[in-house]
Amino acid sequence: MRIAYYPGCVAQESGKELDLATRWVARALGIELVEFPSFSCCGSGFVDEANEVLNVAINARNLAIAEKAGLDLLTICSTCQGMLTLANLRYPDPAVRPRVEAALRPLGIEYRGSVKVKHLLRVLIEDVGLDALRAKVRRPLAGLKVGAFYGCHLLRPTDEMGWEDGEEPHAFEDLLEVLGASPVYYRGRVMCCGFPIQFVKSDVASGIAGRQILDAKSHGAEAMATPCPLCHISLDAYQNRAEKKVGAPLGMPIFHLPQVVGLALGATPEELGLARHLVPTEPVLAKVPPAAVH
Amino acid sequence: MTEGTISATFDVYRHDPAKGDRPRYQRYTLKLSPHTPVLTALLQIRAEVDPSLALRYSCRSAICGSCAMQINSKSRLACETHIGPEIEQHGRIVVEPMRNQPVLRDLVVDQASFWKNYHRIEPFLKLDPAHPMPEGRPTSMTPEEVERFKETPRCIACASCYSACPAVEADPGFPGPMALAKLYRYVVDPRDRAHQDRLVRVQADGLWMCLRCHLCTDSCPKDVRPSERIRDLKEMAIAVQGATEHGSRHAVGFKDNLRDRGVLNESRLVRQTYGTLGMAGQLVQGLHVLRKKPEVMRKPHPIEGVDQIEKIYEALDRPSEDGA
Repeated sequence: MRIAYYPGCVAQESGKELDLATRWVARALGIELVEFPSFSCCGSGFVDEANEVLNVAINARNLAIAEKAGLDLLTICSTCQGMLTLANLRYPDPAVRPRVEAALRPLGIEYRGSVKVKHLLRVLIEDVGLDALRAKVRRPLAGLKVGAFYGCHLLRPTDEMGWEDGEEPHAFEDLLEVLGASPVYYRGRVMCCGFPIQFVKSDVASGIAGRQILDAKSHGAEAMATPCPLCHISLDAYQNRAEKKVGAPLGMPIFHLPQVVGLALGATPEELGLARHLVPTEPVLAKVPPAAVH
Repeated sequence: MTEGTISATFDVYRHDPAKGDRPRYQRYTLKLSPHTPVLTALLQIRAEVDPSLALRYSCRSAICGSCAMQINSKSRLACETHIGPEIEQHGRIVVEPMRNQPVLRDLVVDQASFWKNYHRIEPFLKLDPAHPMPEGRPTSMTPEEVERFKETPRCIACASCYSACPAVEADPGFPGPMALAKLYRYVVDPRDRAHQDRLVRVQADGLWMCLRCHLCTDSCPKDVRPSERIRDLKEMAIAVQGATEHGSRHAVGFKDNLRDRGVLNESRLVRQTYGTLGMAGQLVQGLHVLRKKPEVMRKPHPIEGVDQIEKIYEALDRPSEDGA
């Protein structure tokens, strides 16, 4: 399949390992990522808070770029997925569309509203398919207990994101099973990671992150995996703060979604950028036997 | 089994803090139609099996909002949650009291904090004498003005959103989704004279603690969509007062951050939110992250066509005249 690749800001900078792993997985699965250096940031939920119509407009511009190329759009971030989906939903509003069109028309940009926005998780399940994925597993994850952590904007509001049950999803867990991992079900998997208020009240944010990690851990998780690089920041890069806040050592390795997929498909830790994590992933990798040679 | 009935297992939270006992789950199994509401089943348990079960309910018609509880971990009204789909999905029905409020007994919680937070937003009209009074009726509104309330008048104060909210769980200073959705309703009411005061107050009093996780919107039985109204309040508060809090400074800073490159400049954002001096407090964490992720200090390359972003901002990044 060919799809417009929307990496988002974090995967191009501090979360580069996510981009690296996505490209590896796409190559392995025959997904052609079509790149557009003209894509802008999605606004990350913050621009939406400051100016909703502006947020729709910058994303209508992104969507128009994919539409012109006749492609649907692939996201690798729950927040990008949420914001671009929201733009598609708000755009037809009679109070919004005329203002957005008036801003885009002088730039020669027209958006007709035809682009589907799909997160990698959904593409893996609906377009690649779990059976096809299972056939490509070279290094089954040996029953590793992995707690999926979805990221709010991938799921909710459920009626708008229109995919999984926003409080009881199972797509990620289904995928983990196919990869040979044992998914861990815990309440925190659909909760907030604390990221949105990391800049408002960082101690509360860290407490929220710590609570979810502890929850996963108390249900037996040896690692967590997230389809959202912002959750990854909160859970991995800021895990030291979360540990202080909850007063317990956590030591929980946090994988990006394509990293767990890549690992099972036979990628090396280097190819997935695992050394870039703040919480070491080696203890978990040691539990997974090396890839079988085919 | 009678035709059309299913065997339904209920694991019901039982706890009487006054007796000092430990919380436990009591199992009841009943044969019921799959269309039976959870509330009806609980009342049958109380009438026929265990009269000591405490629960709160009234109308049985999803109007009064009394019977909100956790049903298989979701905050819902017991009177409109049918047992069939729950049994099908979970094999049993776990019934627990609402979260974020202390248990008085079994399924009954102390709602004091919920109501206190509601009263904090002053949920009453402060009539504006200057508001036009068509046909001499001081409270008349046009249909268009009523439309601005959006979904908020549907709220039945069941507290499902309060129970589901992780911000309430993490910080008792957060007013909660219902209080903020109600606040929105007064802020856009053309008869109210305190719009600006209300926005100024809430900006400093918890508005920016919302995590925009949308759990409130998912759990609301009346589709009030509190998370969306909280978003509206944030934009209105910035328009009225500017960015006065870390939260609003972060939102406005993020918006301004994208303007010149089209993508996020992470290090600049920290400065925009905390100010140059405030950045010092972030130094330790910054160095911690920098070890593995040197890009956080790098200015990203501007996107192709970044001039288009500037033009879009010029066209749309002006507060509208009514401050909304």
